Amino acid sequence: MKTWALIVDTWREALARYTLLGFALVSSLFLLILTFALNLDIVDGSLAAGTLFGKALEFHHGAQAIDTVVVTGQSIFAGMLYVLGVFLAVFATGSQVPNLQTRGTVDLYLTRPITRTHLLLGRFLGAITLVTVNLLFLCGGVFVIISLKTGVWNPRFLVAMGLILVVFLSFLGFMYLVGVLSSSTPLSIMLPYALYMFSFPLAAHDHIAAAMDSRFWANVVHGLYWVLPKTAEVGRDLTGYVLGKATPTLLPLATTAAFGALCLAAAVVIFNRKSF
Amino acid sequence: MISVRGLVKDFRHWGRRLRALDGVDLEVRRGEVFGLLGANGAGKTTLIKVLLGLARPTEGEARVRGRDPRAASARIRVGYLPEGHRFPGYLTGEGTLRLFGRLAGLPERTLERRAAELLDLVGLADRARDRVGRYSKGMTQRLGLACALLDEPDVLFLDEPTDGVDPVGRRQIRDLLLATRATGTTIFINSHLLSEVERTCDRVAILHHGRVIRQGTVEGLTRPTQRFRLRLATDAPLPAEQLQAVGAAVSSSNGAFEVEVADLETLNRLVDTLRAERLLIAEISPLRAALEDVFVEVVGEEEAR
Repeated sequence: MKTWALIVDTWREALARYTLLGFALVSSLFLLILTFALNLDIVDGSLAAGTLFGKALEFHHGAQAIDTVVVTGQSIFAGMLYVLGVFLAVFATGSQVPNLQTRGTVDLYLTRPITRTHLLLGRFLGAITLVTVNLLFLCGGVFVIISLKTGVWNPRFLVAMGLILVVFLSFLGFMYLVGVLSSSTPLSIMLPYALYMFSFPLAAHDHIAAAMDSRFWANVVHGLYWVLPKTAEVGRDLTGYVLGKATPTLLPLATTAAFGALCLAAAVVIFNRKSF
Repeated sequence: MISVRGLVKDFRHWGRRLRALDGVDLEVRRGEVFGLLGANGAGKTTLIKVLLGLARPTEGEARVRGRDPRAASARIRVGYLPEGHRFPGYLTGEGTLRLFGRLAGLPERTLERRAAELLDLVGLADRARDRVGRYSKGMTQRLGLACALLDEPDVLFLDEPTDGVDPVGRRQIRDLLLATRATGTTIFINSHLLSEVERTCDRVAILHHGRVIRQGTVEGLTRPTQRFRLRLATDAPLPAEQLQAVGAAVSSSNGAFEVEVADLETLNRLVDTLRAERLLIAEISPLRAALEDVFVEVVGEEEAR
């Protein structure tokens, strides 16, 4: 009951701040365009012609096998969503912890017979449900519409959504840590963005470390690579998997998840020890 | 019901240590209305926060119903109205009570009944479906009180409960507290509105720079003075010169007189003088020092040390 109350509270907050409505509107618009404005003409398993808003699409390499077109399109979409979706999700949930810790509000929550761990994890669960439902609506919608239009059912696209969710959860854990430490919404949004940007080039940690003069700094670069989320590798694996060219490797995903879990655990410990 | 032993609370601010509570000892008995008085920054809110598990004591111990307030289970049937509380503005009055009632673990049916009862009790039944963000300060305060009373608390902590509330609302809150006390609830009030405390509390403690410098019953602290209220049955003036001659100092305020005498012998001489002048006495009553006077005096003495 308490957990449910916290999840409902998270949704109410998202509704009141129009984040849920905004997300639903943008997703619905995209799905409507996909449904009504995009028409594909498939002949003998190949894409012969297509129109977008009534305008003919040009194919420079002649007729393409429809399954190639679909998986390529889904792969590009998954790649875009990997960046954009995580950014939007961070933006939508960044104020959660700072709002909870607002003076005059935190007292009301913490003086109920509920543990601080339960309170924080209940809100975390609320954020997960919020982002999962939005992601499922958008990606599930894209999957169903494209599959119905083309007859190509590529379940790898749906699995890729799971990978996006894992990466988002990792950043959500980090965001909770920043939120608990700083009680600042701008910092809770900006630092995950900065981390996302910073972690991307670390995929080339071997090259960067080789360019370092000092062994110490080379180790720092390697250390950061292993500690921080592997956003570039997971992104590469994700698009490759949707294309059917690769299977996601476990290590980048596991270390990314571990980073989020550690951040969340630290957030819980600090939240429990904090005086308000 | 509430006990505090040698409580110390330090805050760190940029490496500097600030002592908010400095060895506080307190005992509040079951069913008592206890008032904690103090100037701004005396440590009143910090003490309440320690008693509710919001802040961790640096030294000493605090117990509410014999339990450590940091344990979640210790907060079952404990109500709290924080100072300057901010309910999430996106919730309605009813939604607020539902959320906090669920977090208190109230069963749905009980919650539904209690929410309706309390909204009615605090005069918000007709605004129950309005967003809290649109409530006035007084309404928010009354909603806060309803929220604090949700799970029929054994112990109720109120931090400046009448802050920002108009006189009518203040009286409503006072009546509500007296009705709550009648059910056996222990009430712990933080306030700097001394007249309110004087009317509501059984016992008080005065906190100054984090230390309890005086505590006792309201009756005991507001001791009788050598001043008396005197009212005559007619509008006749007092024979000031004769009264001065017997050793009574007279002043008038709001149609009544205040006389200050050295002892009861002088007071009786004063009565004899008035009767000799054929003046009909309607009332003579001893005046007690107001809690405010006691507070100012005690804090002044402490400052002078």
